[in-house]
Amino acid sequence: MMERNASAATLFVRQATGLVRAWSMFDAFIYAFFSVNLVTLGLYIISQMYFLEGALIPAILISTAFILFECIVYAGLIAVMPRAGGDYVWQTRILGPGIGFVLAVTGWWFILWLWVPLYGDMLRQMFFTPVLGILGARGLALWFIQTPAGLFISSVIVCLVVSIYVGLGMRRYAQIQRISFFISLVGLMVVLLLLLVNSVDTFRQSLEREATAMFGATGPVYEGMLKAGEEAGAIQPLTTSPLWPIFLAIPYVVFFNLWPNWGATLYGEVRGASDFKRNFYSMAGALVITAILAVIFMLLIAKTFTWDFFVKANGAWWNYAWGYTDTPPPLPIWPYPALLAAFMVPNRLVQLLIVLAMSAWWFGWSGTVFLSSTRVIFAAAFDRLLPERVADVDPRTHTPYVALLLMVIPSLLISALFAWDVGGFQTLTLDATLVIAVTYLGSTIAAILLPYRKPELYHASPIAKYTVAGVPLITVAGVIFGAFLVFLLYLWLFDPYQLYGIGLANTSSVILMGFLYALALLIYLGFRAYRMRQGIPIDKIHAEIPVE
Amino acid sequence: MFWKRQKKPTLTLFFATDVHGSTICWKKFINAAKFYNADVLILGGDMTGKALVPIVRQNGDRYRVTFLEQEFTVEGQEALEEMKQKITNRGYYPYVTTPDEIQTFQENPEMVNALFKQEVMKRLEEWLAYADKKLAQMGIPCYVAPGNDDFFEIDELIRASRHVCLADGEVVELSAYHEMVSSGWSNRTPWRTFREADEEELRRRYEDMIRRMKRPETGVFNFHVPPYRSTLDEAPELTEDLQPRYAGRALVPVGSTATREVIETYQPLLGLFGHIHEARGVIRIGRTLCINPGSAYEQGRLLGALVTLAPDRVKHYVLTMG
Repeated sequence: MMERNASAATLFVRQATGLVRAWSMFDAFIYAFFSVNLVTLGLYIISQMYFLEGALIPAILISTAFILFECIVYAGLIAVMPRAGGDYVWQTRILGPGIGFVLAVTGWWFILWLWVPLYGDMLRQMFFTPVLGILGARGLALWFIQTPAGLFISSVIVCLVVSIYVGLGMRRYAQIQRISFFISLVGLMVVLLLLLVNSVDTFRQSLEREATAMFGATGPVYEGMLKAGEEAGAIQPLTTSPLWPIFLAIPYVVFFNLWPNWGATLYGEVRGASDFKRNFYSMAGALVITAILAVIFMLLIAKTFTWDFFVKANGAWWNYAWGYTDTPPPLPIWPYPALLAAFMVPNRLVQLLIVLAMSAWWFGWSGTVFLSSTRVIFAAAFDRLLPERVADVDPRTHTPYVALLLMVIPSLLISALFAWDVGGFQTLTLDATLVIAVTYLGSTIAAILLPYRKPELYHASPIAKYTVAGVPLITVAGVIFGAFLVFLLYLWLFDPYQLYGIGLANTSSVILMGFLYALALLIYLGFRAYRMRQGIPIDKIHAEIPVE
Repeated sequence: MFWKRQKKPTLTLFFATDVHGSTICWKKFINAAKFYNADVLILGGDMTGKALVPIVRQNGDRYRVTFLEQEFTVEGQEALEEMKQKITNRGYYPYVTTPDEIQTFQENPEMVNALFKQEVMKRLEEWLAYADKKLAQMGIPCYVAPGNDDFFEIDELIRASRHVCLADGEVVELSAYHEMVSSGWSNRTPWRTFREADEEELRRRYEDMIRRMKRPETGVFNFHVPPYRSTLDEAPELTEDLQPRYAGRALVPVGSTATREVIETYQPLLGLFGHIHEARGVIRIGRTLCINPGSAYEQGRLLGALVTLAPDRVKHYVLTMG
């Protein structure tokens, strides 16, 4: 009977515009996979965790388990309100327009200004310095990695690259991302293979040889890095530690794995239960596979570099980069695992190809920083909460140039503050995660309340059938993920163990976040009052039209 | 002696489009006039739904239905009515049937077309009756222009309505200052729908109407298909077998060059478009404000545009999500 009904369902659909086949889960997976980017975000933040007492691998696995509930929450919200502008619309509809506007523009627009210098920092560490070092341009390589001007120029290049992506549009970016996906996987497999087949001795010899030749490293580099790392207080274990320190490490780990939902609202139509599952599996698949790859990567690093060396090398570098010492470590660059692995192949061309292939992790991912922001800016402009001009597109290139300028100009200002560490700006790295986590918390609360605040919408959706002990699945998942976010926010803001540096005790952090939220609120209230005076019923644009 | 500024007369119109059979969206559309204080209601094309949903009687008061790709068992009249309402609000047509009748339909697919038309017409009759009753109380004019997905038989039904006016192919006087021309036709689509034409034919259709306008430059062009490369026409790129490329993220312009040409040539005050549900947005082509409010009919949400026109300009506008 079921088979008969299924064929009947197909029979009763007529040819009409927009009836298409299901979208590919693999394509959605690629975007999610790049969003929880193991090489850029992952290696960057892992390297900064050297002083923590919580073991890294359990922290990755536990956080992954919690973030799976995020995948359920977002797949559920998308199933109920697809293609709607994401967090902005979910929150305006369920929690109210003011909350929706403030949380969406801070999380999807303003805070991405701070992500630009972080992307720039990763670009110089993973691309410019290794490539220039391999090509023999030692001076330029060290200028990029060791000077504020190098970081600033790298951030300017981020803005240029991403502006080109925005100009090319989503279609071309999707093509670039797909190609980058395969190149980056080849690069990673080669790196993992090098780590697998080589020994600690081989690594030590190659490190001494290449670090000296490429970057002018002095003395016994391996031993020197161990000593410098010890002085920096590098202690993080890899596999085991008491449970509480593991949980204390999670607010760092989520810097890289909290984002499997980043592109979810961009995917195709959600027509039924299979599309809900497709959304969930693409996000959850990317998250879980990334966690598995991270574990394999770290275990192989421990096997070939030794975990002790890796943690201490990271400690030695960041201790210098953050200005706790004026003396550069013996290896005077960020200890990029892909470059260290490439050292074990004594051939410049092969080394270059490995680093270039690994840079596809950055080039395939970097468009994420502005592409979603322009959508939020457009949505706010259509709601008349921003001037009409911000949604202008160039008639020839179709580039949303005003929205782009609203991203680029503040980003360059923040990048300068970050590069020259004005007011301790370099301590604010985790603010970039915190502000988006607040936005996600807003959407998570919206998801928890959805079946009760908008029952007609919920019951007409493909997720209405999914319950746990009679409670809607989206509510259950929302409560678990919401509790996880509250836990993270508590640690970040109150920082009882002084581990994160962005809490209420950090004046720069308080000023930055206060400024961003105040700016959003001011724009909302200002434009709301202005539009109401113009006669535009702003208070009604998200309200449900009553049916009599 | 002070010069007193004379307040210019304005016209506020509410526009929505692509409701695709969703009864809740239709009712919201009719009620939108009162909610937003609009003077005129305008509905763009594609009023009819895309699928019948068979509710198959098993035995007695027990039914099975596949809805949103899920199997449901429905028991009792109350649950049956609830399921029918759910299906109706999503824009589909519930049809209570038997396993034997399903078998007959499978053996004779042409019978499904006849059934489809019958259900579409039935729903539209209900809609028009609802609108006639409400609009008579409100005294608000309401214009509709069926779109490329709507078969021609519905035009006669609309013409018979007392308060809902068929605007397709007509020049309608919205106010003393503003006329509107409407067309639900689109350029060619991969689905070969009812009201499609080549670009030259579309242009001819448009010109036939525009020629009859007194002042196209203060007019409203209500055309279902948006202008080509306007961002209001960006739809997911499809493979040859109609699968969205890159999970639907890759967007390509699919609008009409004819629509773009007449907008560029005549520069009306306002262009109202639909057709591409995901391309919600606003853009200016020259002095013409072009709007596609998009559509979210399956979720029962009425996306719309509220526009206030002064005699010689668009005074203000906003996109709505009711």
